[in-house]
Amino acid sequence: MKFKNFFFRSVSITGIPIFGLLIFIVALFQFIVPIFNATVGDYITNLVPVLLLTVGAAIVIIGGSIDLSIGTVCGLSAGITMWTLASGLPTALSILLGIATGAFFGLLNGFIITKFGINDFIATLATLNISGGLLIVLSQATDLYGAESEFFTSLVYGSFFGIPTSFFIAGAIILLMQFLLLKTILGRRIFAMGNSGAAANVAGINVRNVKLATFVLSGTLAGCAGVLLAARLGGVQAFLGLGYEFTAIAGAVVGGVSLAGGRGSAAAALAGGLFIGTLAQGLQLIGVEPIFFGIVSGLALIIGVIFDQKIQDIGQLRSRFDSRVLAQPPRKEGDHG
Amino acid sequence: MKKFLSDPILGVIILLLLVGGVASFTVDVFFTLQNFTNFLSGSYFVMLLAMGMTVVLISGGIDLSIGAVMALCAGIVAKLALQGMSVPLVIVCALAVGAFVGCLNGLLVTVVGLPDFIATLAMSAFATGILFIWTKGTPIVGYMDETYKQIGGLAPIYRGVTVPMVTAIVIAFALGAMLKKTKFGVHLFSVGSNRLATRQSGINVTKIRILAYVISGVCAALSGIIMAGRNTTVPPDLGGGYEVLAIAAALIGGASLMGGRGRILGAILGEVVLAMTINIINLLGVPSSYQKIFIGGILLLAVLVNQFVISLRTKILMRSTNKKS
Amino acid sequence: MSAPLAFSPTESAPVILDIRQISKSYQGVAALENANLQVRKGEIHAVLGGNGAGKSTLIGILSGVTQPDSGEFLLEGSALAPRNPRDAIKSGITTIYQELSLVPALTTLENIFLGRELIIERAGMKVLLDRKKMKNEVIELAQIFGISKDELDIPISEFGALKKKVIEIVKALTFDARILILDEPTSGLEEEERLHLFDHMRNLRSRGVGLIWVTHHLDELHGLADVATIFRDGRTLESLNLANSTVEEITNLMFGIQFNEAGLRTKTNRLQKDDASSKPEVLSLHEVSRASVLRDISFSLHAGEIIGISGLAGAGRTELARVIMGLDNRTSGQIFLMGKEVKFKSSASAYKAGIAMLPEDRKQLGIISGLSVAENISISNLQSVSKFGFIISRKKERELATKYKEILSIRTPSVNQKINNLSGGSQQKAIVARCLNSNPSILIIDEPTQGVDVAAKTEVHELIRDFISKGGAAIVIASEIQELLELSHEILVLRNGSIVGRIENVQESKEKSRIVQIKSEVLALSAGKRSKNEI
Repeated sequence: MKFKNFFFRSVSITGIPIFGLLIFIVALFQFIVPIFNATVGDYITNLVPVLLLTVGAAIVIIGGSIDLSIGTVCGLSAGITMWTLASGLPTALSILLGIATGAFFGLLNGFIITKFGINDFIATLATLNISGGLLIVLSQATDLYGAESEFFTSLVYGSFFGIPTSFFIAGAIILLMQFLLLKTILGRRIFAMGNSGAAANVAGINVRNVKLATFVLSGTLAGCAGVLLAARLGGVQAFLGLGYEFTAIAGAVVGGVSLAGGRGSAAAALAGGLFIGTLAQGLQLIGVEPIFFGIVSGLALIIGVIFDQKIQDIGQLRSRFDSRVLAQPPRKEGDHG
Repeated sequence: MKKFLSDPILGVIILLLLVGGVASFTVDVFFTLQNFTNFLSGSYFVMLLAMGMTVVLISGGIDLSIGAVMALCAGIVAKLALQGMSVPLVIVCALAVGAFVGCLNGLLVTVVGLPDFIATLAMSAFATGILFIWTKGTPIVGYMDETYKQIGGLAPIYRGVTVPMVTAIVIAFALGAMLKKTKFGVHLFSVGSNRLATRQSGINVTKIRILAYVISGVCAALSGIIMAGRNTTVPPDLGGGYEVLAIAAALIGGASLMGGRGRILGAILGEVVLAMTINIINLLGVPSSYQKIFIGGILLLAVLVNQFVISLRTKILMRSTNKKS
Repeated sequence: MSAPLAFSPTESAPVILDIRQISKSYQGVAALENANLQVRKGEIHAVLGGNGAGKSTLIGILSGVTQPDSGEFLLEGSALAPRNPRDAIKSGITTIYQELSLVPALTTLENIFLGRELIIERAGMKVLLDRKKMKNEVIELAQIFGISKDELDIPISEFGALKKKVIEIVKALTFDARILILDEPTSGLEEEERLHLFDHMRNLRSRGVGLIWVTHHLDELHGLADVATIFRDGRTLESLNLANSTVEEITNLMFGIQFNEAGLRTKTNRLQKDDASSKPEVLSLHEVSRASVLRDISFSLHAGEIIGISGLAGAGRTELARVIMGLDNRTSGQIFLMGKEVKFKSSASAYKAGIAMLPEDRKQLGIISGLSVAENISISNLQSVSKFGFIISRKKERELATKYKEILSIRTPSVNQKINNLSGGSQQKAIVARCLNSNPSILIIDEPTQGVDVAAKTEVHELIRDFISKGGAAIVIASEIQELLELSHEILVLRNGSIVGRIENVQESKEKSRIVQIKSEVLALSAGKRSKNEI
């Protein structure tokens, strides 16, 4: 019973339209390009890192901020993972270092923003450049390919009962994030902070810590995404990850995460990310050049924001009416001295 | 004295002296005319971007597409030049495109109601995408001639004077005068400082915000035209990261992300500080692959200095108003 | 910018604003029903009424924000139907709201001329601003209202609340306003600034401007307002000539309930305070300072006690609350909680230690909009609705909120309602519930009844007294000295960040003379006309 409630709450925050839309375009593409169905497994596997980035982006956005560095941090994490692996370090350690890179940048972002009070998108714009720059330097200094590790490649190319391992890994992580956002105390504080940071600060929430937490989460997810990305690619190039943040943010917004903060969920991000990925795949199969993907993301983002604002407007209209009715204090009988 | 301290210019001047000081200690070659003209020549087109960014910041917005639009316009110049179009016409076309994109940005932010950094981020993706399609992944070449060399500043038009230099100076005066002495200038600050009150005064806020983006689009176009000449080719990834420099320069120059503050002179000096810093880094022998890292660091520093100056100003004001009451 | 007229309003002064049978409904709910009101030339006309009584709707119609469903209003004989605020201003009706409608980055001059700047015409080109001409046009008027020539070129962000209000008034006059609507003009101003504002209002009256004054400070009316119109449930009940009516009559009309002169229910609870030494000390401050904002604040608070904090704007009252709460750092001094020294880094630590705060700005700092009532109540103590320490139980949360809803009589159809839908008074009570839920030993309340109608005001006061009677202690910050007199055992007066006066045994005597004495003492101390003194 409790799980059912949890499920329905998740879906209602996700925004049923997106799930519906998703099903619709899958059906549409299947109709137009019959081989679409067969490619689903493939393109979702490719999509997994970006989906993790999308969820990370969502967490930060729900908290009322934005993280522009997730793309390059993902790339850098992939690079670090590849480098340590190629240098002969044990697989487990390399994976850990990759994730840790992400967590480190999350911490760095959070620290710059909370301790120094620097605007979030400027700060993450800066770390975008720093992490991107580090990857460039790394790629020039050493080879980022040629890692021999079966376990590592099996992360992405292996499968359980026909379903790729990375699905399970990503699925578990996303489920964990959904739980964290909707059911835990930290999640509630993130929502409160995103709704009204100033009020949350006065109400006993340590806004600095919560904000820091959102960036650490998003950085760590970027690190995980980087590890999976490295496993899939087998080799890392200098500009990996650049631009992924845009797709991630677009996916989150399309899925129903409001840029204003305080609304959305990990499931919403997942739905939105799947939607954009599916759209891209379908278009590619139809024959549209992949370069258009950036344009498609941009359009999807714009439409998503407009849609979200319409929802907010409708919500406000309703509350305006309610408040007018409620504002009249009811007369209580015999309620005076 | 108080007026001086509250002027946003203060931050830049401090930084300028700071960087100059560091330079004098670390690099000998720095204080030579040759070096100065060298790094300055590369900074004019960024100054134009910074000036456009400052105008948008004053109006309360931000333009993350300025780098991509610069590249797009450079691409247009190259393509049209290759097709044999005359130089004046090419310039007009490029400016028109810049203005058009600016108009689109403005519409997205006002009529559609998107948050400014999302709208311009999307526009940046669009512009980059379009350029990519045109270049088909390889740089556009073969359009350079003597005129474009001059436009790019590779050849002077008279002694030491180059087109980029003149353009930067002219635009600086024009925008600076506009901000201080015209009705439009007052309205720009007004919109950035309190949009609602401005609207209530009967001012067409939408028009002003759109115009601010058009100005930045035109500045990006001017910059792109110069870039086409200076770079001699137009690669598909041109323009990557320039918006960061533009923002950093504008912020160093005293503009505020909150809107309602900023100076054109500040943008210019801010870019000078940036160019100096990058120059010093190069002179110190640091490989160019590290540049991105430094730019990121400088951006952080710029914001910190900006904030420091503002908090200093607030403290001083608080003390004097306390005395008054 | 006409020459000032000497005008004494009498009943024979002409009616310049005639509001006739105006009605307005929103989605079937009548906000205004056949409202009638007349304002004469040079008259200060007070508009009174509880929340939702229709005052804001009428102002909205007069200032062109919205249009009436039926009825009309005439200004100096001609019917007006402004479609937007600019229309209204041009026609001669200007509204000055509580929120600032000036632009901080612009100078006084630029603000006054915003939207109608004077341009130099040179060679047929109209481009450059004519600052000189603009200055000459307003300099006289500005000086009458206390704005100097230099101040015309200073960005208004540097000025305090009163000066900004005055600039708005001057700006309105430059539009040749016949009717000036002042919506709660004294909010954000302190006692001395209020008095200055009242002088300016008298000045306006003598210039022949008709003032519509919306206020809920009934004690401000006498000696200033000539006439009052009372709104209730969307109807205009009566226009009273204030010379002949008492506060009792007014509140009776406003609410249909009997209130005594002090604005309290007739059956007041006597505030008992036992001998201080018998109750334990819960909080003590020892020479607490914060840069130039607070200087050597020392006092001690005991269980069962209420300390009231008074002072002008900028005196440091809210700053003091924030320092105690850990929201701002102190630069020196110590704070002792239950005898142990504490250093809070954030409000979270303060809440854990047993201090809860009701902030002054309910809209921005109080309610967490977008969240439900239940979620707002639980937010300061999420442990109280948790399972296993980190998971939230919505069932527990709902039960908790329902419990408080009943105890505090919070008016809402359900605790899952979004909190922005509630009235000001109910929102305030929800925040009180939030504070109480964290089981505090100390409550800090900054402006307990700001923007709350009189009925809810009394309820909030009772909640505070109830908390005290159960062993809690409270610090109440209020601008209305009357409110402090009703609640506090001891009143501290702040000025420029220091305590300049302590008034003890406030509740000892309810004699009018004593009340008046305390009030004037507090006012004098706040303004600095006397040295540190104890009564």
